Amino acid sequence: MTPTEKLATELMLKFGDSVLTQQQTADEVATFWVAKTHILPVLAYLKKESPEPFPLLYDLFALDERSRSDHKTYPSKDFTVVYHLLSFKRNQFIRLKIALKGEYPSAQTLTHLWPSASWYEREVYDMFGIRFEGHPHLQRILMPLTWQGHPLRKEHPARATEMGPFKLWDEKVDTEQDALQFKPEQWGLQRHSDDADFMFLNIGPQHPGTHGVLRIILQLDGEDIIDAVPDIGFHHRGAEKMGERQSWHTYIPYTDRIDYLGGVMNNLAYLLAVEKLAGIEVPDRVKVIRVMMCEFFRIASHLVWYGTFAQDLGQLSPVFYMFTDREKIFDIVEAITGGRMHPNWFRIGGVAQDLPNGWDKMVAEFIAYFPKRLKEYHNMVMRNSIFKARTVGIGIYTLEEAIEWGVTGPGLRACGLEWDMRKKQPYSGYENFEFDIPIAQNGDCYDRAVVREQEMIQSLRIIEQCLKHMPEGPYKSDNSHATPPLKKNTMQDIETLINHFLNVSWGPVIPKGEAMSCIEATKGWNSYYMVSDGNTSPYRSRIRTPSFPHMQMLPYISKGYTVADLLSILGSMDYVLADIDR
Amino acid sequence: MNVFFYIAAAVAIISTLMVITRKHPVHALLYLIVSFMAVAIIFFQLGAPFVAALEIVLYAGAIVVLFIFVVMMLNLGRETSLQEKTWLNLATWLLPGVLGAILLIELIYLISTQPNETLTIAEIEPKAVALSLFGPYVIGVELSAMLLMAGVIGAAHIGRRTIKHYHRFLQEETK
Amino acid sequence: MSETLNYWLVIVGILFVLLNIAAFLIWVERRMLALWQDRLGPNRAGPFGLLIILADTLKLFFKEDWIPPFADRHVFVIAPAVIVISVLLSFAIIPFAPAIQIVDLNIGLLFFLGMSSLGVYSIVLGGWASNNKYSLLGALRGASQMISYEVFMGLSLMGVVMLSGSFSLRTIVEAQKDYWFVLLQPVGFVIFFIAGIAETHRLPFDIPEAESELVAGFHSEYSGMKFGMFFIGEYLGITLISSITVALFFGGWLGPAFLPPLAWFAIKTAGFILFFILLRASLPRPRYDQLMEYGWKILLPLTLLNLLVTGGIILFLNQP
Repeated sequence: MTPTEKLATELMLKFGDSVLTQQQTADEVATFWVAKTHILPVLAYLKKESPEPFPLLYDLFALDERSRSDHKTYPSKDFTVVYHLLSFKRNQFIRLKIALKGEYPSAQTLTHLWPSASWYEREVYDMFGIRFEGHPHLQRILMPLTWQGHPLRKEHPARATEMGPFKLWDEKVDTEQDALQFKPEQWGLQRHSDDADFMFLNIGPQHPGTHGVLRIILQLDGEDIIDAVPDIGFHHRGAEKMGERQSWHTYIPYTDRIDYLGGVMNNLAYLLAVEKLAGIEVPDRVKVIRVMMCEFFRIASHLVWYGTFAQDLGQLSPVFYMFTDREKIFDIVEAITGGRMHPNWFRIGGVAQDLPNGWDKMVAEFIAYFPKRLKEYHNMVMRNSIFKARTVGIGIYTLEEAIEWGVTGPGLRACGLEWDMRKKQPYSGYENFEFDIPIAQNGDCYDRAVVREQEMIQSLRIIEQCLKHMPEGPYKSDNSHATPPLKKNTMQDIETLINHFLNVSWGPVIPKGEAMSCIEATKGWNSYYMVSDGNTSPYRSRIRTPSFPHMQMLPYISKGYTVADLLSILGSMDYVLADIDR
Repeated sequence: MNVFFYIAAAVAIISTLMVITRKHPVHALLYLIVSFMAVAIIFFQLGAPFVAALEIVLYAGAIVVLFIFVVMMLNLGRETSLQEKTWLNLATWLLPGVLGAILLIELIYLISTQPNETLTIAEIEPKAVALSLFGPYVIGVELSAMLLMAGVIGAAHIGRRTIKHYHRFLQEETK
Repeated sequence: MSETLNYWLVIVGILFVLLNIAAFLIWVERRMLALWQDRLGPNRAGPFGLLIILADTLKLFFKEDWIPPFADRHVFVIAPAVIVISVLLSFAIIPFAPAIQIVDLNIGLLFFLGMSSLGVYSIVLGGWASNNKYSLLGALRGASQMISYEVFMGLSLMGVVMLSGSFSLRTIVEAQKDYWFVLLQPVGFVIFFIAGIAETHRLPFDIPEAESELVAGFHSEYSGMKFGMFFIGEYLGITLISSITVALFFGGWLGPAFLPPLAWFAIKTAGFILFFILLRASLPRPRYDQLMEYGWKILLPLTLLNLLVTGGIILFLNQP
């Protein structure tokens, strides 16, 4: 019995056919349609009562089904809300869907089950206009409060040219100005307590400590944080909406810019989903090249985090050393891909070109050079007693809290859970590599730093193995969906030539279905959930990014610390604004 | 020498007047600092450089900073200005003003009846101050030290309040 | 007459040299930081990028001199002047060489302490008058930090005063003919220097500014030459603390005869200035409450102990 069948039996026995219907998907994640009225009991059962529970709410999003040709077929729906849960015991995802009917439907909130559902539900409301009954603070989250319409609905224009010229009427100026006025009550904050008047401090949207356009409203008693409210969305570019109008191939560069420090790592997450949909099995050489590039970007991203973290705590020099090293990585990336931060280099079914001559020499040089530097940084930053005083015991969360709030990646491993998607659910051939999963026990800022620092050493190990065991073979799959197909065959037979022509001019047509990828990205788990209705562009592209839930947790973990500690917490969280807002 | 004395004295008197009449507490305190500095200069001219230095280090440099600190913390702004304005009413300052004037007249009379001697200025070195403090006046020093100690303890006791913990771990403990 | 002229020349000369040093330090700091951080630093304008000083100064002078409408105008303007004046006045008592000293006060050290305690006002008033929450937080931090560290600063000097029997800096320097006081007062030196860093609010004690938290803190709202005054005040402060350290603990102008006394003084002071910059390049910033705790719970007992031990030893040695 496969895990999916086992899970299906367990649920059917508990709830019965009338509640659950199983659906087959391209990614083999157990998928069930749940009757709208029964979603809460099912979720509660999965989280609490099931012998092998699903404690992590991995993702929550919606689809506008109204333009799909099959949206009247079972179950008949106008909108779908999708829940992704993860079980650590089973090492398995489960996908639950509820069908909603009507123009502006509503569903029940699950904020009382998972606190982390709050932002996800707000996002669904913001993007689709679906209301969640019982949500404590259902307000727009990514779009401005004054925005008209809900962007991810199919009737909402995707391009500015579809919207008519922008006019700033006086009334509009007034409403926008009004919306800028800060009213603490609107954010659920009180002005006074019994014995203190609180001070409200706006950190951001422009602030050197936020690493981007992020606004955090702090409610302070002296310098103690009573409450913090992150205000996100300043970096929202509608990457998910763009997916619906780009071809499967031309969407790749947009993914580069989600976690803009992760470079091709984003490509990988997207392409794994697409390749699952298209049924492409990539050659071994592609897998190893991809792994190597991803690990390079993991080191590059961690270096940026390392340097800026130290800088946030007032240490000015490390960031310069680390950016110099990052430059060395970019030299290699540039030699291989031609690009630097956003190489846009992976392709459906492969990579853009083969590795250039002499790549191995550059990589070998870096492998010989880098460990010494890491040791130096360890002495400079991690062993510094002021650094320790600023990070040890700050921003603590326990493993249970981490799971409850949807923390993934290094933040989760810093709480002592040895869980790395590269090991647990290997993709792109990670099962063939030898590396350890660094963990730490306390879940404070220092431990998160320790985990990331160790990860760089492990990444280097993986790169070394890539260098030693780079397989020979093609750099692209010969599957007809691979885009663009290998050129050499196009001159040989008409089939590939036509494919090449179509894939380049229209873009590939990906078969109907839906699939999700999940990779261990630089900042946590990154997923692309792609829905195809058999067209040249995705019907819906959902990007699950790790920084989103991490930022949502900020108020919870920063209460009771001081303003200076907030900077430690933000620094140790390692978020990227584009990764939060997409 | 005398000219400098009169200048410093005039500055001291004018700035003290300004202290009383400024409505904004911070501005008043700034004039108070000027007044202290003027007094320090007078001390210096009278041959007491040690006292002059202490006047600046302690009064201007520490105590008034604390005053300003408090004013900043309490964020006293327009409201206090209005409140201060009401204190400048004739009715409010008439009686204290009259009483003060009586004292002033007395003082002037006493000074004017004194035989007109020129003050001989002998500079007193810090060392001399120290020797007299720890010599004949050692009991005074000890007593004031004890008094200050009591003051410190008293202040620490009054200033102690139950610290409110906002961190979730600490809250569970106190429950 | 020539004596008075000489006296005025010394004053004007010292003022001129100090202001130039403060400007020069802009370049020194940026180049040294760059050197320690594997960068180039300003190297384009003039030889070794030296003209960056001119460019920076011109920029500061010609920038719009903006006073925020919500600020307390008068106090806002006074604040930056206070720091420059109080630091410059402190230089009056420093013996740069046997013949170069503006005034040899018998309360010299106390005068220095008094002036540095007045320097606090610059931060407090600047932060308060800006009427900005970040500035206010910076000012509050700055005030409590500087008041606390003044206590240790004053107490840490008393060991030297005991040894030399005077507050006069000239006497103190001359008392170091045989050996420098740093040998007799190592604890006093370390504490004084730490307190000195706190007084100049340089990294790691730049908590009132804390660029990554408070966005420049008390001088967030300042621009143009008013900001320039804070800037120059900071560099003058570094120079002041360095030269006082040299005078108190490292024998001032004393040194082997092959160099003139002034050169010895300059070399030693430059060494400490560079150390200030090196500190900035290497250390992170502690948290505000950690800094205060460190001061009151570690430095204060240490200083008192140092005083007790020094006094005891002097008493013991002076026994008839």
